[in-house]
Amino acid sequence: MYSYLYDNYAGALYNTIVGIVTDTELANDVLQEVFIKIWRQIDSYDTGRGRLFTWMLNIARNASIDTVRSKGFQNSRANQELTDHVSDTAGSVETKTDTIGLRKIVAQLKLEWRVLVELSYFQGYTQDEIAGMLQIPLGTVKTRMRSAIQQLSKQLKEK
Amino acid sequence: MDVKAYIESGVIESYIMGMADEQEVSDLMQLAAQHPEIKAALYEAEVSLEAFAMANTTPPPPAVKTAVFAAIAHEFASATEAKIVRFNFRWVAAAAVILLVVSSSLNIYFYNRFKETTDQYEALVLQKNTLQANNQIMQTKSLDLYNSMQMMTDPAMLKVSMPGIAGKENSYATVFWDTKSKDVYILPNKLPQASKGKQYQLWAIVDGKPVDAGMISNCAGLCKMKNIPKASMFAITLEQEGGSPIPTLSEMYVAGKVG
Repeated sequence: MYSYLYDNYAGALYNTIVGIVTDTELANDVLQEVFIKIWRQIDSYDTGRGRLFTWMLNIARNASIDTVRSKGFQNSRANQELTDHVSDTAGSVETKTDTIGLRKIVAQLKLEWRVLVELSYFQGYTQDEIAGMLQIPLGTVKTRMRSAIQQLSKQLKEK
Repeated sequence: MDVKAYIESGVIESYIMGMADEQEVSDLMQLAAQHPEIKAALYEAEVSLEAFAMANTTPPPPAVKTAVFAAIAHEFASATEAKIVRFNFRWVAAAAVILLVVSSSLNIYFYNRFKETTDQYEALVLQKNTLQANNQIMQTKSLDLYNSMQMMTDPAMLKVSMPGIAGKENSYATVFWDTKSKDVYILPNKLPQASKGKQYQLWAIVDGKPVDAGMISNCAGLCKMKNIPKASMFAITLEQEGGSPIPTLSEMYVAGKVG
């Protein structure tokens, strides 16, 4: 049964993980960690609070963000001279990940929205932290974030 | 609130993507419980995110699956080893039957105890109510007595002692006559119990003629009688219940002069 769960969802979760950590080596480790977590915590999944996939997706996303934000990862990224967020430049590793799933859609958003989604969804910063980083009021962050997400979900449905 | 605008605000999608802050999440949980439309929109958003994710997959290297299942198998083995306990079905069944019997007997026992306690409780409530009523009566009586005492000791109150007349020497009563208001009160200190259908009547002697001053009923302390502006003497006779227009002189018990 658990093998079925893996076969069914590993591809979708792996896609999400690669989208965030952008490094396939690391993504392999994160995926392994995620499935072990799912197996350990399946008892704490509450059907009343949402779908199983949403629950698993959040585990995958949180594990990916933890990895991205860990010190070791940031050092290795610095060495590779890859900017830590949105880049319009083509030809880098990020371009490759831009073709993956959600990133592909996010890349089509206008810049002020893209920055927010990047920091929030892909890097896991809270709206409060983002307001501080970008020096814009929290209310503005919220409004823009919601517009960005509306746009995202519209495109998500079209795909 | 505008449910439609809320649904379209993007907050639901931001929640399922894990981007909403605590406040937004708790608001959403509350609203979803109140509005079926929001709950439905939440479900729909989850389904569409899932559909999108399932349509955009990247197959992971097979080595990852091997590593995951090796790790899990290892964990599972160490977790279950300690837990294996053998059950003998006969013993389990016997224990269950014993437990059932014990539990049923306890139910009967506790039910009886419960009924007993309820009866006792009801008896106590009744007793309490009776005591409370008695207490109320006593309080009223003692208040009456207190008021009577206040009146008797009033300097304006004229006291007229009425000793028993010849042949009725054991009887004795006292009239208190308020010299200001001219109200008359009687204290039947000592009068024989009136027989059934009979009642004592107070008379004031005004200018040599008897005037009805009222019937004496059962009251605690002083009984208020009629207002008598002027009198030289008071007397009590035993009459038919309800009183008589003229006193039956042979039934006179006590009499006393004013002053």
